[in-house]
Amino acid sequence: MAKVSLVWVATPGLDDLDPALVAKAAGMALDQGGLLEAAVVTTSQEQAPKQLRQRLVGLPVAWLELAAEVGGGPEAHRLARAAVAVSRAAGRAAKGTLPPVYAPQPAQSVLVAGAGYSALAAAWESAALGHPVTLATPFEAFDQAGADDDPEAVSLMAAQLPAQVELVPHSELTRLIGGAGGFNVWLSTNGDAPQTYGAVFLAPPGELAVGCEVDGLDPALCCPVSQLNPEDYQAPADGWLHVAVLAGTAEPVPSYSFSAALDAALALARRPRVQVTLLYSEARVAAPGGEKLFRDCREAGVLIARVATGGLQVRADGRELAWLDPLLGEELELAPAAMVLAQQATASRPAWLDNDLLIKPWGELVPDNPRLAGGRTSRTGLYLTGALRGTAPGDARRAEAAAAAAAMHEVLTGKVVPMPVVRDSFCASCLTCVRTCPHGAPRYAVEHIQCAPAACLACGACAAECPAEAIAPPGWGNPEMFSSLEWGLALAAEPKMVLFACAASGMPAVASLSAQGHEWPAGLVIYPLVCAARMSQVLLLKALELGAKRVLVAGCHPGNCRSVTGNHKAMAKIASLSGDLAALGLPPEAMEFLPLAANQTRELAQKVAAMAQGLGEE
Amino acid sequence: MTNAQLDTPVLILGGGVAGLAAAVDLARRGVAATIIEREPRLGGRASQFCCKATEACARCGACRLGELMAQAAHLPQITIYTAALAVAAQPRGDGWQVELAPQPNGEIGPGPGRPLSERATLNAQAVILAVGGEAFNPAGKTRFGHGRVEGVFSALELEAMLAQGALGPKAMAPAKVAFIQCVGSRDASLGRLWCSRVCCGYALRMGRVIRGLLPESEVTFFHMDVQDYGRAWEEELPELRKQMRFVRAMPGEVTAGDGGPEVTYALAGEQAIKEGFDLVVLSVGLGPPNGASALGELFGAAKDSDGFLTADGGPAGVFVAGAAAGPRSLNESIVHGGLAASQAASRVASLSEARHG
Repeated sequence: MAKVSLVWVATPGLDDLDPALVAKAAGMALDQGGLLEAAVVTTSQEQAPKQLRQRLVGLPVAWLELAAEVGGGPEAHRLARAAVAVSRAAGRAAKGTLPPVYAPQPAQSVLVAGAGYSALAAAWESAALGHPVTLATPFEAFDQAGADDDPEAVSLMAAQLPAQVELVPHSELTRLIGGAGGFNVWLSTNGDAPQTYGAVFLAPPGELAVGCEVDGLDPALCCPVSQLNPEDYQAPADGWLHVAVLAGTAEPVPSYSFSAALDAALALARRPRVQVTLLYSEARVAAPGGEKLFRDCREAGVLIARVATGGLQVRADGRELAWLDPLLGEELELAPAAMVLAQQATASRPAWLDNDLLIKPWGELVPDNPRLAGGRTSRTGLYLTGALRGTAPGDARRAEAAAAAAAMHEVLTGKVVPMPVVRDSFCASCLTCVRTCPHGAPRYAVEHIQCAPAACLACGACAAECPAEAIAPPGWGNPEMFSSLEWGLALAAEPKMVLFACAASGMPAVASLSAQGHEWPAGLVIYPLVCAARMSQVLLLKALELGAKRVLVAGCHPGNCRSVTGNHKAMAKIASLSGDLAALGLPPEAMEFLPLAANQTRELAQKVAAMAQGLGEE
Repeated sequence: MTNAQLDTPVLILGGGVAGLAAAVDLARRGVAATIIEREPRLGGRASQFCCKATEACARCGACRLGELMAQAAHLPQITIYTAALAVAAQPRGDGWQVELAPQPNGEIGPGPGRPLSERATLNAQAVILAVGGEAFNPAGKTRFGHGRVEGVFSALELEAMLAQGALGPKAMAPAKVAFIQCVGSRDASLGRLWCSRVCCGYALRMGRVIRGLLPESEVTFFHMDVQDYGRAWEEELPELRKQMRFVRAMPGEVTAGDGGPEVTYALAGEQAIKEGFDLVVLSVGLGPPNGASALGELFGAAKDSDGFLTADGGPAGVFVAGAAAGPRSLNESIVHGGLAASQAASRVASLSEARHG
């Protein structure tokens, strides 16, 4: 291992520290201007003198803004922090030959792992936005359609794919860590070597499952809709052929499946002397043209039989169907010569998505959360699209890919949110931030927490949870928040109240009310938060300590948080303090969470008014 | 006098969620856009919608309008004119030349965008029609008594009432509420042979809000079929069936009774029943935009067999987003705006490539 020296660059804030003492405390040699193997430099690369930078070219170097690390306080404390920071940085410099997990600039490359229409649309959209795209497909040919795709649309999309898209056949994504701008991805075709991509689209090929029909049907009589060839259905010369089309009898099918079943029923009914009976529990006609198709079926002579959900019975070894007809009130039976079964699109969920230790804390990655519509997940830079997300085949998947790609482009090229400051000398390497961050920004690499700036949404969950106060987005650390809270409460009239308001729900409601000329109580301090995830017990108690009699946190409704569980976390912290409130002689309403939507101004005004009134009566 | 010249790469007609989403997605792609809204303020129909959360978010998407308006207001690539109407349009060069006229009626509300003050000319390489769909006027279905029988409201009126936290003029008393589905949808007698997609979702969500606000309330849901409106909701349907009474019958008529409106309906194979309610809500469907034919003539936009606008088979450089292209929920319209943005951006890019070799 290389010998690491301390290169001391005098910067403001370090004047009173003795470089030799720091080096000694860190167990390192102080640079005397000779040849170096590896170095820790006490300033940033930009601020270092040119001569020094030239001397360090090609060496493993840890650039350390030491002045920020040591902070204020007694000299002895500052010296100790400096020593800790320098020795940690030395560890990094010593291992400086290892590649960094995150490049300083977000990687622009995009990996699309999957196949079929959704995968091709994502690749096309990403390439159109100027990103280098790799398409890793489990199939031999990239233009192969998923079972639920329209093959014609797929080959059209494949033909439009720019030539510079790199195609990797027979390849599957087996593991993924990191965040936007720096995902490390393992592909089955690459063995153990991870590759770095700025963003990842996961669009496994859709499959068609017969999940919504009754069990126990005679397989010899059954044909899934997608494999139907109406020409095969010949009526006997002297009679009729009875065919049952089952379109969601055990449970209702999605509308695109229902429309496909209607198409099948109609094609069969147009065959000579074929009698079709359509069995279903809910007529899902919401797909474009669905209602007309339903009527066309009736007009073509299809018998429509509605059964209660799960009310279809199978008899005679799966060759007979029986159900209670709601109109006639009596049981009907049918022994069809053939049965056609509706199918629903699914995609197999890769095991690593649920099992990987580094993914699990982010929770459900495909919620129906309206803030994550259009392919996005809570994990910035990771997009799940198509059948995996339950998006209907066709146009909806095209739109999803377009919206996801625009979001991806903004994340990788747009304005970067101020990156969380990690103070190494405070960090206890407990990895709480890695587990807590809903967006996959922090990562433990080479004895050091690093954050991917492109992934960070500045929600502040890390700052709220860090037990050592070592990490926070700029301005969102406890000291800054405490002092502005103190300042705000000092200006407020008695009785004092604090409203912590989430930027996605509470603050827009506050802004709408203020724009309407709403009069807030004179004792109310409105404190904006990026997300309720920033609330900590310390912050809640600090508000009380600084004289607030009531603390209200206005965050999103459960299931609506862009950071997934910011609102739940705030609720849990408030609940956990209920015992302490009683001990402090405060009523339970002294600290409350108000679930709110941006347009629920009335609810917010009422709550604040009630709070002020309750205080006035005390 | 020459008109003010307001050229832009992409012109977006309509400042509802679809138009706003298209503009924001275009900005993400680095393409500037101008939004023209005929009303004095942005927001479109979504601005009338209430939050439908109970213990948890109901995923209706109504909260996303504010987010989109704030984004559109702050992005430098987006210009917004309110109270402005496109009165003439003609292909010119690679794109379209559109004449805009101020809409004098209506007072200027707060919010992003400035009102168009004078007639203006605008050249754009691509046009996105995001004018929204038209909600069915329930008076057109006379037998349901809207505007005639006291206590009968359209679902849009209920949205406004719930946004005020009340159930109509009688305010906060637990009530017996009936929802009648498919008013102006799936209806051959009206020539409206399409499912409006969104009504089952909004009615059941509002039914649940009513049950949450006033747990003593009884909610009845008259319907033909329950449509799919989100993966998570499919799983919640069994629970909803316990909270509300699902009646699979389309009522024959709604008449004025002693204590409120009375609904006449018949269950399969049974005699017709007359049942009294405090409140009858007509779940009105979405249809093609009112000015679809005018817009179609203006831009030569194609229409599908139901009268909704479509980009397929239409003139080059004209795209459609949101409910103008067919019934869509808020979330679907927002994502669909992203598709129109992609199409418009790729047209702008190919035109500039052709121009610069």
